[in-house]
Amino acid sequence: MDRAHCVIIGNGPAANSAAFTLRDNDPDLRITVIGEERDHEYRPDLLPDYIAGKATEEDLFIGKSESYKGHDIKLRLGQRVVHADFQQRELLLEHNEVVRFTGLIIACGAKPRIPEPLAVFEDLMLTLKTPADARLWIERLARVDTILIVGGDLTSLSLTKALLHLGKRVVFMLDCGSFWPVPFSPELREQVARKLTEHGVEVTECTKIRRISRISDHSFEVATDRRTMVVGILGAFFGLVPNVKFLAGSGLDIERGILVDEYLKTSRENVYAAGDCAQVYHPEIRDYWVSIGYTNAVELGKAAALNLLGDMVAVNVKRESILEVDGINVNSSWWMEF
Amino acid sequence: MAGVDVTVEVCGMAGDGTIAAGGLINEAMSAGGLSVLGFDSYPAEIRGFGRCVTRSRIGDEEILALGDETHVLISLNDEQSISRVPVLAKDSAVLFDSNPPIYVQEEKSLAAEVDPETMLFGMPFGDLATSAAGTARGRNLAALGGFAAVCGVPPDLFHLVITAKFKSKGEKVVDANLKSFDAGYAYAKERFADCLKTMFSGPGRAEGPEKVMLSGNLAIGKAALDAGLRLYYGYPITPATPIMEYLAKQLPERGGAVVQMEDEIASIGAVLGASFAGARSMTATSGPGFALMTELITHGVMAEIPAVILNAQRGGPSTGLPTKTEQSDLHAAVFGGPGDSGRIVIAPTNVAECYLFTVKSFQLAEKYQTPVVVLTDFFLDNRVENLPVPEASEQDIAFGNVFPDDSVKGSYIRYLDTETGISPRALPGMEGFAFSATGLEHTERGTPDYSPDNHMKMSDKRHRKIRSALRDLPMPEEFSRGGDLDVGVIGWGSTFGSVLEAVNTARSRGLNVGALKITSIFPYHADMIGEFMGRCARVLIPELNYSGQLANLISHLRGNDVVRLNLATGTPFPPSLILSKIEELLKAGA
Ligand SMILES: Cc1cc2nc3c(=O)[nH]c(=O)nc-3n(C[C@H](O)[C@H](O)[C@H](O)COP(=O)(O)OP(=O)(O)OC[C@H]3O[C@@H](n4cnc5c(N)ncnc54)[C@H](O)[C@@H]3O)c2cc1C
Repeated sequence: MDRAHCVIIGNGPAANSAAFTLRDNDPDLRITVIGEERDHEYRPDLLPDYIAGKATEEDLFIGKSESYKGHDIKLRLGQRVVHADFQQRELLLEHNEVVRFTGLIIACGAKPRIPEPLAVFEDLMLTLKTPADARLWIERLARVDTILIVGGDLTSLSLTKALLHLGKRVVFMLDCGSFWPVPFSPELREQVARKLTEHGVEVTECTKIRRISRISDHSFEVATDRRTMVVGILGAFFGLVPNVKFLAGSGLDIERGILVDEYLKTSRENVYAAGDCAQVYHPEIRDYWVSIGYTNAVELGKAAALNLLGDMVAVNVKRESILEVDGINVNSSWWMEF
Repeated sequence: MAGVDVTVEVCGMAGDGTIAAGGLINEAMSAGGLSVLGFDSYPAEIRGFGRCVTRSRIGDEEILALGDETHVLISLNDEQSISRVPVLAKDSAVLFDSNPPIYVQEEKSLAAEVDPETMLFGMPFGDLATSAAGTARGRNLAALGGFAAVCGVPPDLFHLVITAKFKSKGEKVVDANLKSFDAGYAYAKERFADCLKTMFSGPGRAEGPEKVMLSGNLAIGKAALDAGLRLYYGYPITPATPIMEYLAKQLPERGGAVVQMEDEIASIGAVLGASFAGARSMTATSGPGFALMTELITHGVMAEIPAVILNAQRGGPSTGLPTKTEQSDLHAAVFGGPGDSGRIVIAPTNVAECYLFTVKSFQLAEKYQTPVVVLTDFFLDNRVENLPVPEASEQDIAFGNVFPDDSVKGSYIRYLDTETGISPRALPGMEGFAFSATGLEHTERGTPDYSPDNHMKMSDKRHRKIRSALRDLPMPEEFSRGGDLDVGVIGWGSTFGSVLEAVNTARSRGLNVGALKITSIFPYHADMIGEFMGRCARVLIPELNYSGQLANLISHLRGNDVVRLNLATGTPFPPSLILSKIEELLKAGA
């Protein structure tokens, strides 16, 4: 008889925590981790430092081939899942390969959100989610002095710090509604603006971007309702949204993220979701929450793995925890250290 | 551009255009001024079945051997390419068809097999070719376009060689192939913009002397033509057949003829006949054919008739491994056949020597009036190297015949016992120089004579003659800093490239080692080889055969104290294996 085969979509903290948990608890299972990025697992929180030259590749990349080999986990990098057939228990990869599974953990995370009014300019803007994005920043920054940041999520503050470290001029268009995952309160916005200004960042009014004209490969003219400025890079930072579009036609229950119960079970048998892509049911408030953050992803990955193996581990979804990112209170500490 | 040393493989099924794609890579890289050593492996069975693989090692310095690892794999058939995964280097790049006609199951997927560090570049080869040129036939060209984009090869180099390759098929074919290539190039440039490699950044157009891409077999064919070959007699056999095919096209244009005989016995018989009459003639075969020839080869030895025989070794014994390489005919080449039948055996180590030694073999055969065996092997015959167009000097192609002096007209003694053993040879039709030639033991005058003294005397004459050939045979070549060596490695044939690469690497690590190249297999320069062996604390002889046939021949020069490293795998000798053995010997001796 074929060995039971658990496939994990994703190569982030949730996916890897799930994979190694599975192995620790089932020596016989065939385990495959499929990640669409070419890079090994990395620490996203170090991406800004990597751009600033303060973190090395050694610091950044924590996934090691030997570790997967040693645990008999097949790691497939640079390969994207484009469709799931839960009836047949098959995944279709972008290069037209069919992978069969007996159990599936979806840990495909989230991707940068570009708000609708800016969607048309998407190709002109840089975001920061992956090492590939970071490399692009590094390449562009070598030829550019002024960076316009639009939005204002946690990542943007961290990146701004890196840009200042590199001696760049940063203009920040602090958006009113984008302190993802929670909206700005006027007080919070003012506090952020003040801190940014103190550090030499030019905080500009949040207005509508009317047009962007490419002047050269390394400069754009950005015209808003109020002013026109020439910048080298446009960065868009409006938080993250679950990266689940590829599952749209799969028959899985999806809202913002993949809907799962408190045991991370999806609407399909033997299919679990964990990490930023999951929208977890909160039994107390009787509603779903998109749960975010690194440690959270690790915990969810672990729980999904144990539950797939037959446990009933309910995830810890304290209502107030959604106001924290990885234990950091967004109202104060995370950006205060900035 | 400094420091380029990249191995590229194309793998597919027979009929996928694998060999053509590999050939274009070789030509393009050569046009870009890089050194190339390419080797194809394909099934023994007829076209339409089986795996084809081309391997090309490309560098900015002379390439001595195939590399151990592959840095770029272009897969035209994933199921076949899975077998190549174990040789992929860490961080290698794999280009593969991302839109095959049917869904691929995980068990048959190349992408499922590779290590995480391997960079995968999935491209819809067939679709790209179809939309660019209206046919999926150019999918191998689309793959090459992807390769050029991903690895940083200027597309003009490919445009140049694609045009040259398909020119004879008409403008339409050239155009379709160029379009498929360009479609692959454009797709990869855009799709993989963030992860393009710069493995070959820099190759422009080659400067310096014009280079040609030649296989060992073609070099042998060209050498034979340049040496003034008049007649080729042969019977097809892998891996020697391409020589006959080449000559069949070229020789008639120069007034010569290629005759396909009924078998190898007839072939050598005809060669001896033509050579007896004074025409430069040759045959080429492989182990099984050579075995059939041996009786008549010894006839050439006894009757002192020149003959040039190319033995392209393949895996044996018997039918063996027809499309695999081996160096296991050394004993047969040197000793094969009845009686004490010493003959000359020379073994080139690279394509340039294939040319040089073949040219030389005609002169040697004429001068020493004996069969000369040029011993190559599958890897040498089929590999391609780019080298300056080889040319033979007047001196190289000059006839080696030693004709009798007019003064002996009427009293001509055909097998005159001279100091060197070389007796002036008359050709049939030379008035006043009639003689009888026979395979029976004979006197100096050619009369049959089995008396003990005569047999002893004439055996001695014939062997003296062969020994005296040493002065005209290529001498062993040493590659070391001289003086005493901790390890000396002796190599011959295609294995020598691997020996030299291993020794060069060891020397670059500060190890006191050296290499000795032996190309005159018989007779061999015993004094020089013995002198080299005497300076080495350990002597290593790597060979692609099971029994260590060169070692059997020469190890007595050092009281049989040599270390053998024998591989009977049918594949070229990996330099890394020789290097590890050197290190092991050094460790043991420390
Ligand atoms: C710059 C930055 C800084 C951050 N800093 C912090 C911090 O300080 N503290 C904190 O708690 N959190 C931080 N976060 C958030 C944290 O990184 C995420 O919450 C966490 O990584 C989520 O883990 P995950 O495994 O759910 O998803 P991800 O880490 O997003 O991983 C998803 C994986 O799925 C793969 N994938 C997606 N779709 C497919 C597909 N179709 N096929 C195959 N593979 C697919 C992706 O390639 C990826 O490997 C930061 C995030 C960023 C971008």
